[in-house]
Amino acid sequence: MDLQAFNQRILPVQGRLFRLAQLFLRNREEAEDAIQDVLLRLWTNRNQLETYQSIEALAVQMTKNLCLDRLKSHHNQKVQDGADVSSVQAEGLSPHRQLENADSSALIHRLMGELPEQQKLVMHLRDVEEYSFDEIEQVTGLSNANIRVILSRARQKLRENYLKANDYETGY
Amino acid sequence: MKLDIELLLDKYYEGETSVEEEKELKRFFQNEDIPDHLKSHAAQFGYFVEARNEFPSLLFHSDLAAKLDPPKQGPVRAFGSWLIRIAAGFTLLIIGFIGGWMFQDRSDQAGNALFKNSKEAASQNEIKNALAFEKMSSTSASERIQAVNQSYELSDVDKDITQLLINTLNFDPNINVRLAACQALQRFGNEPNVSEALVQSLAIQTDPNIQISLIEVLVSIKEKRAVAPFQQLVRDQEVMEVVRLKAEEGVNQLTAADA
Repeated sequence: MDLQAFNQRILPVQGRLFRLAQLFLRNREEAEDAIQDVLLRLWTNRNQLETYQSIEALAVQMTKNLCLDRLKSHHNQKVQDGADVSSVQAEGLSPHRQLENADSSALIHRLMGELPEQQKLVMHLRDVEEYSFDEIEQVTGLSNANIRVILSRARQKLRENYLKANDYETGY
Repeated sequence: MKLDIELLLDKYYEGETSVEEEKELKRFFQNEDIPDHLKSHAAQFGYFVEARNEFPSLLFHSDLAAKLDPPKQGPVRAFGSWLIRIAAGFTLLIIGFIGGWMFQDRSDQAGNALFKNSKEAASQNEIKNALAFEKMSSTSASERIQAVNQSYELSDVDKDITQLLINTLNFDPNINVRLAACQALQRFGNEPNVSEALVQSLAIQTDPNIQISLIEVLVSIKEKRAVAPFQQLVRDQEVMEVVRLKAEEGVNQLTAADA
């Protein structure tokens, strides 16, 4: 696998890896650092890549593991809480809605971060990256039914937390 | 439509929606006009869509490209250049040694041979000049002794030189020069004309010093023909006592070696 083939197959994935890393690490710089690490590891092992069924699944798995490792080792390190999520803009919306959306997006982002790791991962893969259940199965190694259960719980939990937080905020 | 969305939402929270249906939900909540009772659902779908647009920064791409490229040839190149540097160093060193060695060798061979030849030829000429019979009156004794001594430095000597030395031994007016010539001839004792000349010279010499050194030389080269002249010396009453004793000793040694 030469650099060009590597770029063609891996680089389209790096957005996904980045978002996943950001989900876990909650910090742009650290996420970039992490996926760079993952991509470099993939590159150094490029000769064995052909033997894997799906390079993307492998990369996602590596990213997840690396992020969890980093979270463990940087346990007491204070991380910035999605400081730059608000800079993301949805097109074609009025400034008021934009502001509102940005606020609620930041809130959702924070709430997702508070979910248990497995729920967070499955929900992210499904709702953000639009993975099929088979693909999620490949990455997480969980069974199909299990994934559905986790996903359902995660969605309900997120909704619950969101409503709670909203009520709390509007209550004051 | 609204009903559909509500149904979909229910399915969604049960984890039963397909990817397509979820996409539809996202599209719906991207619209401006969302019924009030559904507004609370909008936030998360908005977030999902927004989150999808997150990409690593441009700086990251160039950074990564820079990191991917060097690792590809970095180690190989570093290793290669490291080896090559050492190899180049050694090669230079070896070339230097070989070059120097060859140069020295060649100049040694050429120069030495030439130098040696010319030097020897020159010193031979010098000896010949100094010892030439005609010039004896114009050269000093010390010059002639020096010329005789120069013969020691010659590696191979032709007949001219030995004849010249014999002449010097027999006819040089200075005793010291004769003595030097006598000692110089000891080296060429193996040559027949030299040993014969030494034997003959014994009858000619009158100086006891030269007689003694001649006897020593003849004994050392084990010249049998010298026995008769030795015995003559022994019988000759005019010869010094010491010389007669030496001659007698020489006779004994030569006959003893013979027996």
